[in-house]
Amino acid sequence: MQDIRRRPDLMLISSVSVIALLLFWEAACRLQWVDPLFLPPPSDVFARLAGMWDEGVLFDHILASARRVMVGFAAATALAIPLGIFLGTSQRARAAFDPILSFLRPLPSMSWIPLSLLWFGITETQKYSIVFMGTFAPALLYVIEATRNIDPLLIRAARNLGTSGPQVMRHVILPASLPQIFSGFKVILGLSWTCVISAELVAAKEGLGFLIMNGKEFFQTDTVVLGMALISVTVLVTDVVFRFVENRVLAWSR
Amino acid sequence: MSLRTTRRQFIQGMALGAASLALPMTGAVQAAQMQAIRYGGSAWLGHYPAWLALKKDYFKEENLDVSWESFGTTSARVSALLSGNIDVAVTAAPAALSVMARGSRHFAIIGVPENFGRVEGLLVRDGIEKLEQLKGKKIGVTFASSAHLLVLNLIEQAGMTPGKDITVLNVPAPELPAAFQSGQIDAAAAWTPQFNAIKAMPGVHVLADDTSFELYKEYGVTPGPDVLVARTAFLKEHPEAVKRFLKAYFRANEQLKFRPETAVGALTELTKLSETDQLEMIKGADWYGAQEQVNLLGPGSKYIDGLQKLAEIMVGFGQIDKAPSVREWVDPTYL
Repeated sequence: MQDIRRRPDLMLISSVSVIALLLFWEAACRLQWVDPLFLPPPSDVFARLAGMWDEGVLFDHILASARRVMVGFAAATALAIPLGIFLGTSQRARAAFDPILSFLRPLPSMSWIPLSLLWFGITETQKYSIVFMGTFAPALLYVIEATRNIDPLLIRAARNLGTSGPQVMRHVILPASLPQIFSGFKVILGLSWTCVISAELVAAKEGLGFLIMNGKEFFQTDTVVLGMALISVTVLVTDVVFRFVENRVLAWSR
Repeated sequence: MSLRTTRRQFIQGMALGAASLALPMTGAVQAAQMQAIRYGGSAWLGHYPAWLALKKDYFKEENLDVSWESFGTTSARVSALLSGNIDVAVTAAPAALSVMARGSRHFAIIGVPENFGRVEGLLVRDGIEKLEQLKGKKIGVTFASSAHLLVLNLIEQAGMTPGKDITVLNVPAPELPAAFQSGQIDAAAAWTPQFNAIKAMPGVHVLADDTSFELYKEYGVTPGPDVLVARTAFLKEHPEAVKRFLKAYFRANEQLKFRPETAVGALTELTKLSETDQLEMIKGADWYGAQEQVNLLGPGSKYIDGLQKLAEIMVGFGQIDKAPSVREWVDPTYL
């Protein structure tokens, strides 16, 4: 992607391919090759976008989903970093937690919905919890792996030089694992968006997942496609923001 | 044993053998001639007539091989109808109206099974006698359902604004009893069986049911009446089979209407309800027979006018973009 951004000729090819796809899609619908009920033309999707923009509800949906993602993701990563470093550095702790982690890891976020509704009711906390439960286990695994991948020589060298445990943590383990943790969290951020869509499919009244679900119920396929497109765009934007933060925090590692 | 006897026995044996071979073959030919129809259903009461006709062999007697496909949601069932995976289904009218609003001509309305207006409504705790008393409180309802439409309409009829005067929360139907019991919501709008479950809780009563919907008094139309729909292509290809289907279907409806107790056994297989609850469910709805269909769907029908008004109400609540001309989708010619 970075190569494409730096080269105007590649940028041009990318732009042309997107425009060509949209034109072909529009033509296929207009010429009745596909039923617009099954796949609405891009012009209908843009019209829906403009309509919702005028009504002033579009941002409410985006912000509701973004807030849920950010809270759930922040809670999951805030807990995953210290716990993951601890588990990454202690074999015994890892042995104790491994069975629990193996149990939690394969569970899709959707599977938490019935219990979360009982535990938290029809509240925002319930939606945050779905994002949290869907992202915590993978985030923890990334941190554990990042910590375990640190060259043991670095830790031994620091200890030989007389540094204390907390100093080793602060000056060796944390800086050495952070680049890999950040790479993993970029993936987790994308995963958070799939979780929030699950959370909003049930008991929500706003958000991009709700938009898709409600559109589906009323066969407004243009709203469904718009919701899907908005998720992609929002994920791209959050990815750019995340990269910006990463470049600032890990400037030393470049 | 003489040769003569042996020959006679041989001939008799051959005849018997031929007959025993021919009988199943006749059955196979008959089965091959039976028209296959794929029906989209669920455990919802709107599908009772089709299930009953299937279990009591009414379809078979009409030389129809009807298969049953189960769907968890109305939208999934309608999607299957649109994509040609099923031929006939019962669906809530709002779902059908939503597809019509998109200009789709994939199906036509060919019947009205029942009116379930008395087993869907708004339930509140004792002490609340008027909707105005719910101002500032929370109503739980499954969004995009007929109960949702009822709640929005009731709030509007009371001169209030949904979301402003009363908070309307989106609660999945199975979660409504627990949400109401735990006090997360002050009122619940539900349909059977959750409606019955909440109604049975102590200190709870029905504040309004579907008969309070603004279109009910004039048109007899509830917020989400069921309609029997069929794929347009199937109707064109097999008009006679559709006529036979409707004959068997409304025969089952007559049974539900006049002899409900004889339908209980077959229906509990579908719903897993107790026999008492099942009978109560059947009696909770008004079942329309074949004779009533002409009044409901024929030219100048008030019911269709009511569906037209329902589409306009849905436009008002932003659920569909424009009201379709409902009559264009109604085809009573198979009755």
